Amino acid sequence: MDRNHPHRQLALMRQSFFDQGYLDEQFIQLEELQDDANPNFVEEVVTSYYRDSARLILNIEQALEKKPLDFNKLDGYMHQFKGSSSSIGAEKVKAECTQFREYCRAGNGEGCIRTFQQLKKEYTTLKKKLEAYFQLARQAGPSETACRPK
Amino acid sequence: MVAGPRNCSLTALVVDGDTTSNMIEQGLLRSFGVITCGVDNGRAAIDLFASGAKFDLILIDLILPVINGLETTRQIRAMGVKTKMLGVTACSREREEKAFLAAGVDEFIEKPLDSNRLASILMELNAN
Repeated sequence: MDRNHPHRQLALMRQSFFDQGYLDEQFIQLEELQDDANPNFVEEVVTSYYRDSARLILNIEQALEKKPLDFNKLDGYMHQFKGSSSSIGAEKVKAECTQFREYCRAGNGEGCIRTFQQLKKEYTTLKKKLEAYFQLARQAGPSETACRPK
Repeated sequence: MVAGPRNCSLTALVVDGDTTSNMIEQGLLRSFGVITCGVDNGRAAIDLFASGAKFDLILIDLILPVINGLETTRQIRAMGVKTKMLGVTACSREREEKAFLAAGVDEFIEKPLDSNRLASILMELNAN
C-alpha cells in the first residue's frame, strides 16, 4: 500500500495514539463495537465524551475557585470524569484524573490545581488528535482491509 | 470480538447518568445480541419498573442524578423486582461495594466493563 494512501496514513495515525500513550486497549474495544449497523459508533462516543466532560471541567474549575476547597466535591467530579475517560481509553487523561484524586485525598490544593492544568492539556491534545483522525477517516472512506493490528 | 450468546433474546436496562458510558454499555450489550434500553437517572429507572417494564438484566451506576444508584436500587427491589442487577462504578472501593450489595445489586462490576465477564453473565442468564 502506498505510504501516502489515506488508509495507510489513518493506520499510522491510529497506531501513534497507542505508541505515545494517548489511548489504551479500551479504545480498541470501542472500535470492535463499530459495525455496519453503527458505522460511526466510535466518533459518536468520542463526541459525546467531549460534550459531557466539558460540563464536568467547568464544574471542577468553579469548585477550584472556592475557598476553602471542598475536596469531597472535587473528588466526586473527578470520579465521574475518570470513569468516562476510562471508557473511551483516554490513558493520559485517566492518569491525571488518578493523580488529582490522590491530591484530593491528601487535601493538597496546590497539587489539585497543578494536576488539573496538566489534565486539561492532555484532554485538549487528545481532542485535537481525535478530531484530525476522524476527519481523515471520513476522507479515506470505508475500507474492507482496515489495518488494525490486534 | 469476544465469544458470547450472540443469538440471545435477552433485554437489558442501562441506568447511567454519563451519556458516554451509557452509549458504550448499550453498545457492548447489543454486540452480544441483547436488546437494550437506557435511562440517565434514578427516577427514570424507577418509573420504568413502576409502569410494568421488565428486563432480564439491569446495569446500574452508583452515581446517578435525581436519585442516586443506591437508593434507586433499593426502590426497585422494594417493588419486588428480582431481575439480576449489576452495580457499576468507575473505581471499586470496598465500602462502596458493600453498600451497593446491601442495597440489592447481585454483583459488582467496574468500568470500563470487562467484555469477557459480561459475556459470562449473559450466557448464564441465557441458560436460565
